[in-house]
Amino acid sequence: MSHRTHVLLVEDNPADADLTRETLMAGNPNVDVSIAKDGIEALEFLHGDGSWSTPGRPTLIVLDLNLPRKDGRQVLAVLKNHDLLRQIPVVILSSSDSDKDIASCYQLGANCYITKPDDLQSYRAVLGSLEDFWLGNAKLPRRDGHSVQSGIGYGM
Amino acid sequence: MIRLAVEACPNGMIMTDASGEIVLVNAEIERLFGYTRTELLGSSIDILVPAAVKAAHRVHRTSFVDRPEARRMGMGRDLHGVRKDGSQIPVEIGLNPILTREGLMILAAVTDITERKLADDRFRLLVEASPSAMIMTDAAGRIVLVNSETERLLGYGREELIGRPIEMLVPPRIHGEHVQFRGAFHQHPEARSMGSGRDLHIVRKDGTELPVEIGLNPIHTRDATMVLSAIIDISERNKAMQSLAEQREELQRSNADLEQFAYVVSHDLREPLRMVATYSELLAERYKGKLDERADDYIRYTIDGVKRVQQFVRDLLAYSQVSSQANVPVPIDSNAIVMSTLERLKAAIDETDAKIVCDRLPAIRADRTQLGQVFQNLIGNALKFRTERPPQIHIDAEQRGGKCEFRVADNGIGIDKQYEERVFQMFQRLHERGRYEGNGIGLAIAKKIVERHGGRIWFESEPDKGTTFHFTMPSAQGEAA
Repeated sequence: MSHRTHVLLVEDNPADADLTRETLMAGNPNVDVSIAKDGIEALEFLHGDGSWSTPGRPTLIVLDLNLPRKDGRQVLAVLKNHDLLRQIPVVILSSSDSDKDIASCYQLGANCYITKPDDLQSYRAVLGSLEDFWLGNAKLPRRDGHSVQSGIGYGM
Repeated sequence: MIRLAVEACPNGMIMTDASGEIVLVNAEIERLFGYTRTELLGSSIDILVPAAVKAAHRVHRTSFVDRPEARRMGMGRDLHGVRKDGSQIPVEIGLNPILTREGLMILAAVTDITERKLADDRFRLLVEASPSAMIMTDAAGRIVLVNSETERLLGYGREELIGRPIEMLVPPRIHGEHVQFRGAFHQHPEARSMGSGRDLHIVRKDGTELPVEIGLNPIHTRDATMVLSAIIDISERNKAMQSLAEQREELQRSNADLEQFAYVVSHDLREPLRMVATYSELLAERYKGKLDERADDYIRYTIDGVKRVQQFVRDLLAYSQVSSQANVPVPIDSNAIVMSTLERLKAAIDETDAKIVCDRLPAIRADRTQLGQVFQNLIGNALKFRTERPPQIHIDAEQRGGKCEFRVADNGIGIDKQYEERVFQMFQRLHERGRYEGNGIGLAIAKKIVERHGGRIWFESEPDKGTTFHFTMPSAQGEAA
């Protein structure tokens, strides 16, 4: 099953989480989607604590900005300062289209910033192209499936 | 010899002996008092002295004889002489003892000060009539004259002020400074206002301080330079200015609040609206024809409604961003702006078969994006509100005293005069829904942009013939243009 790809979706709004997951999975049957409801859950997932038994190592992280507990900017900062996690591409998917948010995310090392489109058709089109590019065309670092060796720890 | 000298003197000269008998007068004395020389010589000086002071005059004469030395008569009192017809004239008298073989003589130089008195009275009347408080001080800083407005303003009677040092009206904390400034003013006396840029206060009798403005005027008299100060109570003005400043601040705050509110509302509404929109579309997609016909209608209405609200929110956001996302105005080439606007509208232009003529336009000073928005909204409207004829649009401009007036003229459906105000208001649509697209935000945004640039926007229109929109923007060269 080495061709399966895994997306970590960090999204607190269940409606958006559902829609994004459905759209991603409809576009590509080989995609698995894990959902974290806030920034703390996302980091627990990546570090393998909390309700996850082993650290997750997704192919792609889709990150909302406005999250409870630890917001998207903080998660992004942690990821991009981590020796290994920084390799995982992070796509920001936010309802904000403010110049300030866009600039600060790229400053922190986001790989791509997308504003959530207002209607279904555009939403699908945007997620489709995102999937095509990051999970299709883009060459990403090699990795060992879902789980990783103990190298990914707490050091950040 | 002495007679000739006395005769030639332009002042009145009169000499008496120690008993007061007149022994010598000159022509000026005859003229002043209306007596002939023969009537005066040998008479007592008493005939020229007012009855009320005759007795005192005799006492003074005796003491002068006892201690004869040149001095002025009257020591500051007003002196009068009695003319032959009984009328009195104000005079100034200088006394000189002269020792002769016949004994001690008293030579009096008499000056008629009627004119000076008149001028003095006129000056006092003028000061008295002044609507501002006026205080005259002498070189030593003593108050010599005040008017009734001063009494009213300060609560002192004038008898409490005359002769006292002006510092009694100066706040004690700056007494020292004031004395120095007063000295400096007398060194270089010229009309100016006191205290350039500092807040001045005057102390009233009850100890309270009034904020004032003070104008200083040197008054040159024969003896000395006086200072006439005009004092204006500015407490009311200060209050008015303060309340004006407070109102302006309040207005700015409430405008900023309103814009912030519009931004937050439009921004925060987008997320839940997006949920409603996408899920009702998803519902339509998955369940169309699987429920019943009415359910399909309901879903359609939901989608239609939420799309309209989304458009409103986008428009509101765009409107609030005219202020919040504005850039500093820079000199720009309006031709390039119009060209790129036409590029953006290409689809609509091709579709309507519109013919657009743009004259050479001047450079102006504006926010590039916002000027483009104004042109886009006006040209877009010209394309949208067309008749059966293909749209013809003419864009030109004219420089007028630091401003540039742009015109966008079309041959469209026109705007009825009665809608003059409403066309520029937010969300005002003049046509039934469905006939023309849009929420009526375009002209509201155009107006807000133009006014942000210090310009004005208006239109002329004839129904079914067309509309010309005019707007002004600052020229690139500013006022020099």
